[in-house]
Amino acid sequence: MSEQHPVTDPALLQVKDLETHFPIKKGLLRRQVGSVKAVDGVTFDIPRGKTLGLVGESGCGKTTVGRSLLRLVEPTNGEVLFDDHSVRKENARGLRSLRRRMQIVFQDPYGSLNPRMKIRSILEEGLILHKMGEESARLEQMKQALERTGLSPAVLERYPHEFSGGQRQRIAIARALVLKPEFLVLDEPVSALDVSIQAQVINLLKELKQELGLTYLFISHDLSVVEYLADNVAVMYLGQIVESAEVGQLCQQPLHPYTLALFSAVPSVEVKNRRQRIVLTGDVPSPSRPPAGCRFHPRCPLAETVCREVEPPQVDLAGHRFHCHVASRELERCGGNAAKTSAEMQAAITAATSDSTEPYSAV
Amino acid sequence: MAAPLLEIKDLVTVFHASEGRLPAVDGVSLSIERGRTLGLVGESGCGKSVTAMSTLRLVSSPGRIESGSITFTTEDESIDLVTASEKQLRKVRGGRIGMIFQEPMTSLNPVFTIGNQIAEVVQLHRKVSRSEARSRALEMLQLVRVADPQQRLDEYPHQLSGGMRQRVMIAIALACEPDLIIADEPTTALDVTIQAQILELLDDLRSRLGTAILLITHDLGVVAETCDDVAVMYAGRIVEQASAVELFSRPLHPYTIGLLRARPNVDARDRSPLATIPGMVPPPQDFPSGCRFHPRCSHAREPQCNLDPPALREVSPGHFVRCHFAEEINS
Repeated sequence: MSEQHPVTDPALLQVKDLETHFPIKKGLLRRQVGSVKAVDGVTFDIPRGKTLGLVGESGCGKTTVGRSLLRLVEPTNGEVLFDDHSVRKENARGLRSLRRRMQIVFQDPYGSLNPRMKIRSILEEGLILHKMGEESARLEQMKQALERTGLSPAVLERYPHEFSGGQRQRIAIARALVLKPEFLVLDEPVSALDVSIQAQVINLLKELKQELGLTYLFISHDLSVVEYLADNVAVMYLGQIVESAEVGQLCQQPLHPYTLALFSAVPSVEVKNRRQRIVLTGDVPSPSRPPAGCRFHPRCPLAETVCREVEPPQVDLAGHRFHCHVASRELERCGGNAAKTSAEMQAAITAATSDSTEPYSAV
Repeated sequence: MAAPLLEIKDLVTVFHASEGRLPAVDGVSLSIERGRTLGLVGESGCGKSVTAMSTLRLVSSPGRIESGSITFTTEDESIDLVTASEKQLRKVRGGRIGMIFQEPMTSLNPVFTIGNQIAEVVQLHRKVSRSEARSRALEMLQLVRVADPQQRLDEYPHQLSGGMRQRVMIAIALACEPDLIIADEPTTALDVTIQAQILELLDDLRSRLGTAILLITHDLGVVAETCDDVAVMYAGRIVEQASAVELFSRPLHPYTIGLLRARPNVDARDRSPLATIPGMVPPPQDFPSGCRFHPRCSHAREPQCNLDPPALREVSPGHFVRCHFAEEINS
């Protein structure tokens, strides 16, 4: 992890203390009575040409992060720097030129393509908006983008309903690529697809990244896909990043109890090593009233008094960052050895969850 | 040997649409023993949900069970669900066979309380008073480990989270102590940590109550973690069937192998491109001749694969595969 050169090579995207809150309004006068803190202090960098995987469960705020970067929702606070331009301070014109360089692919390929527009109009819209070339040049660019995503130019004259989910997702990717962006937000791009089609789209995204030198923010709840595609991974819980690291480091030596539980919950096809699964109790709390102290403490098998009261500070172990009182104490005890700490955390959680098996009521 | 709990034989369910006769399920045979979990896996459109719906005769027009038998054997009787009367079916549905659907939001009635909806099933199938049914509902909520069950009884579905709703669905399915639960993608709409809770719950209930489970899913990982036996479906037919241990350690059908390889494995540090299955699942109007998988199969050869539909053969004890060249491909 010593390969970071923050001074000589500023990251393409820098996000600092990003907050996006949605007001809750009630009553006749629509007075604001509270707010949903969907994103509540998120900081990360994505170096050029790298992929950051953002994982978490539904409602953790990962999609809102993606949308806030492009100002598709207006952030409440914090800083988003894209190639040293402040996305939040740009006026309409500046924002438009930035958005040509930062594109987004949405989760649902059925909802994100206008059913009344031909593929040609869908792809051309952005080119016209950004005044990119004459009609013949535009056609050429569209054909190129389609070819890159494995579609034939014949699709231009057809409508979205004529395509399967996988093909639609390719069209959505082509729509993003036609503007020649540098950065793509991929919001669960393969979640709606079948396994065999998923693999095709994942391979495509990987090829595109290598050929065009793209930078991705890959948002997903599917850890195996993230592990496959990402260079760095950040795990979100209730609007905050609880742990982030280089992908191998995070997957092999996770330190935060939530990350550990998340990994152990992923069903594996290896029947022989049915792992000791960590089953968390309870649901994700509402982001309008996040718990005090560590936000994970009501579900954490290792929660202590300090976790209920004090928000855990960030610990940075050579780029492996996490927020957890217990893990940071363990890390100190293990003399800064992340591998050992991870194993200890795993053992402690397994012990804690197997002791507290709830008694069943008789039927 | 006693008859299996549920035995589906040569089930054919067709839909009559403007495209003509669409055989969504085309000759499926399955059997489930008491207390076992059978996983039915496949991609969207392969006919797995229609198989489940057919089992309870819930396929609605223009769909119709054209032929086949579904024999459901309990201690005292054995009935063919395909020819059973509506009256007999009403006893089975929700009584002897419980059903859990994918969408916990749309499968609960939004205008009735949770307690009401669980009690309804009990009252339909048992001669009990309203208060007895209500206390049974409370018991069920405790069984599926819903927090604050007393309070939840009087709440409405929209007040619960997705995982809670799915627990309520399971409570409804289990309320009359069924012999079999049909779970159609029970965890697909849920997050992984909640999915782990629900799968653990189902497995625990199965081992304690002896309920058999027919688990329908597209997720091979879910099958590997929970099922005893697995059947893989493709284009309306079962292409491979074996015990879970056997199927995942020695998959034989090219489609099963393809599905397993297409999945990025969380434990492997392999970054080479994922193996893909070219093309996509054909819709029923375009089912290819011969082996239905042949246009996507890298091992396909003429003239056998494109002309001669392979039979489901037993290649080793308990391991069935529908492929002409299964042994050759895997040797």
